[in-house]
Amino acid sequence: MHGLPSEGSMHDDEMMDALLRNAMTADAPRLSPGFDARVLRRVRPRRLTPIGRAVIAAYVVVAVAATLWLMRDVQTTWIVAAVAIGTPVAAAASIYGRRLAVGR
Amino acid sequence: MPPSAPADAASYANRADEWLVERCRESADDAAFAELVRRYRGPVFRLAVSILGQEFAPDAEDVAQDVMLRVHHALASFRGEAKFSSWVYRITFNQALNVKARVRYRAPHVSDQALAALPTQDRDPYDRLHNDRRQQAVLALIEDLPEVYQSALRLHYWLGESMSDIAVLLDVPENTVKSYLHRARRLLHARLAERGFDAR
Repeated sequence: MHGLPSEGSMHDDEMMDALLRNAMTADAPRLSPGFDARVLRRVRPRRLTPIGRAVIAAYVVVAVAATLWLMRDVQTTWIVAAVAIGTPVAAAASIYGRRLAVGR
Repeated sequence: MPPSAPADAASYANRADEWLVERCRESADDAAFAELVRRYRGPVFRLAVSILGQEFAPDAEDVAQDVMLRVHHALASFRGEAKFSSWVYRITFNQALNVKARVRYRAPHVSDQALAALPTQDRDPYDRLHNDRRQQAVLALIEDLPEVYQSALRLHYWLGESMSDIAVLLDVPENTVKSYLHRARRLLHARLAERGFDAR
Protein backbone atom coordinates (compact mmCIF):
# COMPACT_ATOMS: atom_id res chain seq x y z
CA MET A 1 0.00 0.00 0.00
CA HIS A 2 1.14 3.50 -0.78
CA GLY A 3 2.59 5.40 2.23
CA LEU A 4 3.37 2.30 4.29
CA PRO A 5 7.04 1.34 4.72
CA SER A 6 8.08 -1.58 2.54
CA GLU A 7 9.26 -4.86 4.04
CA GLY A 8 12.81 -4.03 2.98
CA SER A 9 12.83 -0.62 4.65
CA MET A 10 11.37 -2.13 7.85
CA HIS A 11 14.17 -4.70 7.80
CA ASP A 12 16.74 -1.91 7.33
CA ASP A 13 15.15 -0.02 10.23
CA GLU A 14 15.41 -3.06 12.50
CA MET A 15 19.06 -3.59 11.52
CA MET A 16 19.83 0.06 12.17
CA ASP A 17 18.08 -0.27 15.52
CA ALA A 18 20.33 -3.22 16.44
CA LEU A 19 23.44 -1.40 15.22
CA LEU A 20 22.61 1.67 17.32
CA ARG A 21 22.05 -0.50 20.38
CA ASN A 22 25.49 -2.05 19.89
CA ALA A 23 27.20 1.27 19.16
CA MET A 24 25.81 3.18 22.15
CA THR A 25 26.84 0.95 25.02
CA ALA A 26 29.04 3.38 26.98
CA ASP A 27 28.08 3.83 30.63
CA ALA A 28 25.61 6.65 31.15
CA PRO A 29 27.26 9.54 33.00
CA ARG A 30 25.96 10.59 36.40
CA LEU A 31 25.78 13.86 38.26
CA SER A 32 28.40 14.28 40.97
CA PRO A 33 27.05 13.86 44.52
CA GLY A 34 27.67 17.48 45.54
CA PHE A 35 25.54 18.96 42.75
CA ASP A 36 22.61 20.18 44.88
CA ALA A 37 24.86 21.72 47.50
CA ARG A 38 26.87 23.58 44.84
CA VAL A 39 23.76 25.01 43.20
CA LEU A 40 22.16 26.07 46.48
CA ARG A 41 25.40 27.69 47.65
CA ARG A 42 25.45 29.76 44.44
CA VAL A 43 21.86 31.01 44.79
CA ARG A 44 21.98 31.93 48.46
CA PRO A 45 22.85 35.59 49.09
CA ARG A 46 26.34 35.90 50.46
CA ARG A 47 26.42 37.44 53.92
CA LEU A 48 29.50 38.93 55.52
CA THR A 49 30.88 37.41 58.68
CA PRO A 50 31.00 39.69 61.79
CA ILE A 51 34.75 40.12 61.22
CA GLY A 52 34.17 41.07 57.59
CA ARG A 53 31.55 43.62 58.60
CA ALA A 54 33.91 45.12 61.22
CA VAL A 55 36.74 45.40 58.64
CA ILE A 56 34.47 47.19 56.17
CA ALA A 57 33.10 49.54 58.85
CA ALA A 58 36.64 50.40 59.94
CA TYR A 59 37.65 51.00 56.33
CA VAL A 60 34.70 53.36 55.79
CA VAL A 61 35.52 55.36 58.93
CA VAL A 62 39.21 55.68 57.99
CA ALA A 63 38.37 56.52 54.34
CA VAL A 64 35.89 59.26 55.34
CA ALA A 65 38.33 60.74 57.85
CA ALA A 66 41.22 60.69 55.34
CA THR A 67 39.04 62.22 52.62
CA LEU A 68 37.86 65.05 54.89
CA TRP A 69 41.42 65.75 56.00
CA LEU A 70 42.79 65.72 52.43
CA MET A 71 39.98 67.95 51.13
CA ARG A 72 40.10 70.45 53.96
CA ASP A 73 41.52 73.20 51.70
CA VAL A 74 39.41 72.35 48.61
CA GLN A 75 36.55 74.68 47.61
CA THR A 76 32.98 73.46 48.29
CA THR A 77 32.18 73.57 44.53
CA TRP A 78 34.84 70.95 43.81
CA ILE A 79 33.61 68.74 46.63
CA VAL A 80 30.04 68.88 45.28
CA ALA A 81 31.31 68.08 41.76
CA ALA A 82 33.37 65.13 43.04
CA VAL A 83 30.37 63.71 44.95
CA ALA A 84 28.05 64.25 41.93
CA ILE A 85 30.39 62.28 39.65
CA GLY A 86 31.61 59.69 42.13
CA THR A 87 28.23 58.58 43.52
CA PRO A 88 26.65 57.34 40.24
CA VAL A 89 29.93 55.70 39.20
CA ALA A 90 30.16 53.86 42.53
CA ALA A 91 26.48 52.81 42.31
CA ALA A 92 26.91 51.50 38.75
CA ALA A 93 30.07 49.58 39.72
CA SER A 94 28.25 48.07 42.69
CA ILE A 95 25.28 46.88 40.57
CA TYR A 96 27.64 45.48 37.91
CA GLY A 97 29.66 43.66 40.59
CA ARG A 98 26.51 42.09 42.08
CA ARG A 99 25.37 40.87 38.66
CA LEU A 100 28.78 39.33 38.06
CA ALA A 101 28.66 37.66 41.47
CA VAL A 102 25.33 35.94 40.76
CA GLY A 103 26.44 34.92 37.27
CA ARG A 104 23.73 36.75 35.27
CA MET B 1 -1.07 35.88 48.64
CA PRO B 2 1.93 33.53 48.92
CA PRO B 3 1.15 29.94 49.85
CA SER B 4 1.69 29.19 53.51
CA ALA B 5 4.75 27.22 54.62
CA PRO B 6 4.28 23.52 55.26
CA ALA B 7 4.80 22.08 58.73
CA ASP B 8 8.09 20.38 57.78
CA ALA B 9 10.48 20.52 54.83
CA ALA B 10 9.80 16.87 53.88
CA SER B 11 6.26 17.79 52.87
CA TYR B 12 7.67 19.87 49.98
CA ALA B 13 8.20 16.57 48.16
CA ASN B 14 4.42 16.14 47.82
CA ARG B 15 3.77 19.63 46.46
CA ALA B 16 3.12 20.48 42.82
CA ASP B 17 5.73 22.40 40.83
CA GLU B 18 3.46 25.45 40.65
CA TRP B 19 3.19 25.63 44.44
CA LEU B 20 6.98 25.41 44.84
CA VAL B 21 7.51 28.07 42.16
CA GLU B 22 5.09 30.38 43.94
CA ARG B 23 6.93 29.84 47.25
CA CYS B 24 10.24 30.73 45.55
CA ARG B 25 8.75 33.83 43.94
CA GLU B 26 6.82 35.20 46.89
CA SER B 27 8.86 34.08 49.88
CA ALA B 28 12.34 33.38 48.42
CA ASP B 29 11.97 29.96 50.04
CA ASP B 30 15.29 28.10 49.79
CA ALA B 31 13.70 24.75 50.69
CA ALA B 32 11.18 25.09 47.85
CA PHE B 33 13.96 25.81 45.35
CA ALA B 34 16.00 22.90 46.76
CA GLU B 35 13.02 20.61 46.06
CA LEU B 36 12.80 21.90 42.47
CA VAL B 37 16.54 21.23 42.02
CA ARG B 38 16.14 17.72 43.46
CA ARG B 39 13.20 17.08 41.13
CA TYR B 40 14.75 18.41 37.91
CA ARG B 41 18.51 17.85 38.23
CA GLY B 42 18.35 14.34 36.70
CA PRO B 43 16.16 15.11 33.66
CA VAL B 44 18.01 18.38 32.99
CA PHE B 45 21.37 16.60 33.16
CA ARG B 46 20.23 13.77 30.87
CA LEU B 47 18.79 16.19 28.34
CA ALA B 48 22.05 18.16 28.37
CA VAL B 49 24.08 14.95 27.96
CA SER B 50 21.88 13.87 25.04
CA ILE B 51 22.59 17.14 23.23
CA LEU B 52 26.30 17.36 24.03
CA GLY B 53 27.06 13.70 23.29
CA GLN B 54 29.39 11.19 24.85
CA GLU B 55 32.65 13.10 24.40
CA PHE B 56 31.36 16.18 26.19
CA ALA B 57 29.37 14.49 28.96
CA PRO B 58 31.51 16.21 31.66
CA ASP B 59 30.32 19.58 30.32
CA ALA B 60 26.70 18.52 30.87
CA GLU B 61 27.02 18.96 34.62
CA ASP B 62 28.10 22.58 34.09
CA VAL B 63 25.10 23.04 31.79
CA ALA B 64 22.78 21.57 34.43
CA GLN B 65 24.23 23.92 37.06
CA ASP B 66 23.89 26.97 34.79
CA VAL B 67 20.30 25.99 33.99
CA MET B 68 19.42 25.80 37.70
CA LEU B 69 20.98 29.22 38.33
CA ARG B 70 19.17 30.71 35.31
CA VAL B 71 15.89 29.22 36.51
CA HIS B 72 16.43 30.71 39.96
CA HIS B 73 17.16 34.17 38.56
CA ALA B 74 14.31 34.03 36.04
CA LEU B 75 11.61 32.68 38.39
CA ALA B 76 10.36 36.22 38.97
CA SER B 77 9.62 36.56 35.26
CA PHE B 78 8.04 33.09 34.90
CA ARG B 79 4.36 33.80 34.23
CA GLY B 80 3.12 30.23 34.17
CA GLU B 81 1.90 30.40 30.57
CA ALA B 82 3.78 27.16 29.84
CA LYS B 83 4.30 24.24 32.18
CA PHE B 84 7.25 24.78 34.53
CA SER B 85 8.89 21.57 33.27
CA SER B 86 8.60 22.66 29.61
CA TRP B 87 10.13 26.02 30.50
CA VAL B 88 13.06 24.37 32.32
CA TYR B 89 13.71 21.92 29.46
CA ARG B 90 13.61 24.70 26.86
CA ILE B 91 16.23 26.63 28.85
CA THR B 92 18.29 23.41 29.07
CA PHE B 93 18.06 22.71 25.35
CA ASN B 94 19.17 26.24 24.42
CA GLN B 95 21.95 26.34 27.02
CA ALA B 96 23.29 22.93 25.92
CA LEU B 97 23.29 24.03 22.27
CA ASN B 98 25.27 27.16 23.21
CA VAL B 99 27.83 25.10 25.09
CA LYS B 100 28.02 22.55 22.27
CA ALA B 101 28.79 25.30 19.77
CA ARG B 102 31.75 26.30 21.97
CA VAL B 103 33.17 22.85 22.77
CA ARG B 104 32.63 20.89 19.54
CA TYR B 105 36.04 21.87 18.16
CA ARG B 106 37.84 20.02 20.90
CA ALA B 107 36.46 16.59 19.94
CA PRO B 108 39.03 13.90 20.72
CA HIS B 109 40.51 12.02 17.79
CA VAL B 110 40.09 8.23 17.94
CA SER B 111 42.94 6.40 16.26
CA ASP B 112 42.65 3.09 14.38
CA GLN B 113 44.92 1.52 17.02
CA ALA B 114 42.51 2.56 19.74
CA LEU B 115 39.58 1.23 17.73
CA ALA B 116 41.35 -2.07 17.12
CA ALA B 117 41.98 -2.43 20.85
CA LEU B 118 38.29 -2.09 21.75
CA PRO B 119 36.92 -5.27 23.38
CA THR B 120 34.50 -7.17 21.15
CA GLN B 121 32.84 -10.58 20.74
CA ASP B 122 34.03 -11.09 17.14
CA ARG B 123 36.86 -13.56 16.76
CA ASP B 124 37.93 -12.68 13.25
CA PRO B 125 40.26 -9.66 13.43
CA TYR B 126 38.92 -8.33 10.12
CA ASP B 127 35.29 -8.55 11.30
CA ARG B 128 36.28 -6.97 14.58
CA LEU B 129 37.94 -4.02 12.92
CA HIS B 130 35.10 -3.68 10.42
CA ASN B 131 32.48 -3.67 13.18
CA ASP B 132 34.43 -1.20 15.27
CA ARG B 133 34.84 1.12 12.30
CA ARG B 134 31.17 0.83 11.44
CA GLN B 135 30.13 1.61 15.01
CA GLN B 136 32.56 4.52 15.08
CA ALA B 137 31.12 5.71 11.75
CA VAL B 138 27.60 5.55 13.21
CA LEU B 139 28.65 7.62 16.23
CA ALA B 140 30.34 10.16 13.94
CA LEU B 141 27.36 10.33 11.58
CA ILE B 142 24.99 10.97 14.47
CA GLU B 143 26.87 14.26 14.99
CA ASP B 144 25.70 15.44 11.56
CA LEU B 145 22.00 14.80 12.22
CA PRO B 146 19.62 17.60 13.26
CA GLU B 147 19.95 18.35 16.99
CA VAL B 148 16.54 16.95 17.98
CA TYR B 149 17.29 13.67 16.18
CA GLN B 150 20.66 13.40 17.95
CA SER B 151 19.04 14.10 21.29
CA ALA B 152 16.22 11.58 20.72
CA LEU B 153 18.72 8.89 19.61
CA ARG B 154 21.01 9.35 22.60
CA LEU B 155 18.12 9.51 25.07
CA HIS B 156 16.64 6.31 23.65
CA TYR B 157 19.67 4.15 22.82
CA TRP B 158 22.30 5.40 25.22
CA LEU B 159 20.43 6.66 28.25
CA GLY B 160 17.56 4.16 27.98
CA GLU B 161 14.75 6.72 28.36
CA SER B 162 11.19 5.67 27.51
CA MET B 163 9.30 7.27 24.61
CA SER B 164 7.04 9.14 27.02
CA ASP B 165 10.01 10.54 28.98
CA ILE B 166 11.73 11.65 25.76
CA ALA B 167 8.47 13.32 24.67
CA VAL B 168 8.39 15.30 27.93
CA LEU B 169 12.05 16.30 27.69
CA LEU B 170 11.78 17.44 24.06
CA ASP B 171 8.29 18.89 24.63
CA VAL B 172 6.76 17.05 21.67
CA PRO B 173 4.09 14.31 21.38
CA GLU B 174 5.21 10.68 21.69
CA ASN B 175 4.42 10.00 18.03
CA THR B 176 6.79 12.80 17.06
CA VAL B 177 9.55 11.12 19.06
CA LYS B 178 8.91 7.85 17.21
CA SER B 179 9.01 9.77 13.95
CA TYR B 180 12.32 11.46 14.94
CA LEU B 181 13.86 8.07 15.72
CA HIS B 182 12.58 6.48 12.52
CA ARG B 183 13.83 9.34 10.34
CA ALA B 184 17.16 9.40 12.16
CA ARG B 185 17.67 5.67 11.53
CA ARG B 186 16.78 6.10 7.86
CA LEU B 187 19.22 8.97 7.48
CA LEU B 188 21.96 7.03 9.25
CA HIS B 189 21.33 3.96 7.11
CA ALA B 190 21.61 6.00 3.91
CA ARG B 191 24.75 7.82 5.06
CA LEU B 192 26.38 4.59 6.23
CA ALA B 193 25.73 3.09 2.79
CA GLU B 194 27.34 6.15 1.16
CA ARG B 195 30.46 5.38 3.20
CA GLY B 196 30.48 1.75 2.11
CA PHE B 197 29.07 0.21 5.30
CA ASP B 198 25.91 -1.83 5.59
CA ALA B 199 23.80 -2.04 8.74
CA ARG B 200 24.15 -5.84 9.09
